Amino acid sequence: MTRIACLWIPWFTAAAHLRSEPSLGDRPLAVLTGTSPAARVNEANSAAREHGVHPGMAEAEARARCPQLVTRSVSEVLVASARHAMLDAALGVSPRVEDGGPGMVYADIDGLGRLFGDDVAIARRLLRAARAVGLTGHVGVAGSRTAARIAARGSQSITVVPRGDDETWLASASLDMLELPAALAETLARWGVVTLGALATLPRNGLAVRLGAVGLVAQAQARGEDREPFVPYTPPPFWEEAQGLDWEIDSWPALAVVVGTVLERLCARLATAYVSADVLVVRLGLATGAHDERMVSLAYPSRQASAMLSLIGLEIEAHPVAAAVTHVSISAHAVRVTPGPATLWQPPSPAVRDLAAVLARLAALVGRENVGSPVVLDSHRPDAIMLTTFDPSSGGELAEASGGEPAPRLAFRRLRPPRPVDVDAVSGDPRGVRLRADRAAAMEPVVACAGPWRASGQWWDERAWARDEWDVAFADGLLCRLSHDRLTGHWYLDGAYD
Amino acid sequence: MQDWLPERGEITEVVGRLSSGRTSLGVRWLAALTSRGAVTALVDTDNVFDPTSAMRAGVDLHRLLWVRCRGRRDTALCAMDVLVRCPGFALVVLDTGEVPPRLALTAAFRLKLVVRRSDIALVILTRRRLSGPAATVALETMPAGVEWAGQRPRRLDALRTSLHPLRPQRARHPVTGEASRPARWRWSA
Repeated sequence: MTRIACLWIPWFTAAAHLRSEPSLGDRPLAVLTGTSPAARVNEANSAAREHGVHPGMAEAEARARCPQLVTRSVSEVLVASARHAMLDAALGVSPRVEDGGPGMVYADIDGLGRLFGDDVAIARRLLRAARAVGLTGHVGVAGSRTAARIAARGSQSITVVPRGDDETWLASASLDMLELPAALAETLARWGVVTLGALATLPRNGLAVRLGAVGLVAQAQARGEDREPFVPYTPPPFWEEAQGLDWEIDSWPALAVVVGTVLERLCARLATAYVSADVLVVRLGLATGAHDERMVSLAYPSRQASAMLSLIGLEIEAHPVAAAVTHVSISAHAVRVTPGPATLWQPPSPAVRDLAAVLARLAALVGRENVGSPVVLDSHRPDAIMLTTFDPSSGGELAEASGGEPAPRLAFRRLRPPRPVDVDAVSGDPRGVRLRADRAAAMEPVVACAGPWRASGQWWDERAWARDEWDVAFADGLLCRLSHDRLTGHWYLDGAYD
Repeated sequence: MQDWLPERGEITEVVGRLSSGRTSLGVRWLAALTSRGAVTALVDTDNVFDPTSAMRAGVDLHRLLWVRCRGRRDTALCAMDVLVRCPGFALVVLDTGEVPPRLALTAAFRLKLVVRRSDIALVILTRRRLSGPAATVALETMPAGVEWAGQRPRRLDALRTSLHPLRPQRARHPVTGEASRPARWRWSA
């Protein structure tokens, strides 16, 4: 049987603004739309509502009712960040969550009992995860999303509907909880239907004839049935947190406070979903109307706000911002970091942090272009290789799966670049090779050779190549590969077998 | 001997001239370990490693960290030092090339301690002995012939080499003192 938990954050827009300014605490807050004197209350928190402040009210009236009222202009960015934060928090508890709109998240908690305990324990975990990202809400647990949503809107912070009792539990709930279209609600009120139980018991056929599909959907909801399928939420590759400023900032110490706050919110989100960031994209809105965007790559995936703040500070001090800052937005590329080997049966591998430090030291020693994993390119051109970032976790399947260890194969030591050599060739076959650069040196006689192995490519452009390859053995046992460039006629020593 | 792998926490030296199978042996060990999911590293002093032949030999290149030192021998030693201090690598191979650097005996024993502490198998492919008694195992590779196949054009079929243990001393027979029989290898081209 499906179990759904609904996390609901009351007065969500106000909660999103409180999340960005935790110092406001329990003070009455009203979020305004429009500009003064025509500003109106868009949302108010519970403390403001206790003083009679409600959405739609003029700012002047709200201030008259609640003199200590704190007001903020509505910020869509903050609301969007809080909405994503809620989803991330729920993802830390359940792998299947659905976005139920602003301030509402559904989590499929079926089967989580073995991990976290009973429904109450899971609900507590959800509340803790929400609190970790700066949001305080209610949780309802039931067998359907409708019942869970109605349960979450109860007065208790956790409401659990007993398994299989959704319809019975919903029967006494008011019809207003369904938030039906006004016309439908008015019609039902005219019929004297005021509870969900009354709506659930209406004859289905008659309801369909009189109210159509809308009526049937409402009745299904009243019975605790979900008509719409569960749509799982997939987190975006970049997780964003933003902060608009009411004033302009033109120095890093002042900006660091704002950036630090944004980073802490971002890292709290990453922590609740057990992921880390490997790249940060910092976007600064400037007073001139322009935008300043910069990318900060972390040496290893992390969710430490202090380290990120230091890196961003170094970046901004090295390349100062052109104008005063009025808006800060930071996106993090989220990656899942495995603390050890990918599977239980794999040998241990270097810790991510240690490996990042080692790679940085090696890059400082030999240059970044000389450290990495070799990749063989899809080309017949000799030595068609490149280096990529070393990431051992991206390795192929293991030997046990692919049929054991391979047979001994001969390795080749390649000269880079190939060394030009003088070759004494008789009817195309190399008979002697002067391996030393000294012209006076004697030709080394070739005791055996194999070839030619002809290859060519890219004849369609300027990088055309055509060559014959020979494997040659010398009297002292040296086994080399020679190549004859058919375009220039030169001979080269490609390397030696070893 | 064919299935033998360098011991973790110890230094293994493979000494040999060109075309003696020295590199093939190192690549063989890299293949054996990377195919089991282990993480390995190769410090390539002269930039001579050929990923194409290594891939054919079974090396999982994703699990191989290739450090190219472009002929700088001291840098190669420093790179090896950095790598052997990072636990988690199953095997670090130092290919010193044809002109190996000098390594003081005290430095060699310090290296032995580091390798033992980080539990990494360190393999040194070299032309002559480098770490002296600090190496737990020292092997010498020698060419033993080339096999060709076909008529014209002929093709290189295999390289035969032999492997002679130099260290430890117990590789010799305890009574007669005769060296144990060298292992024969056949490397398919």
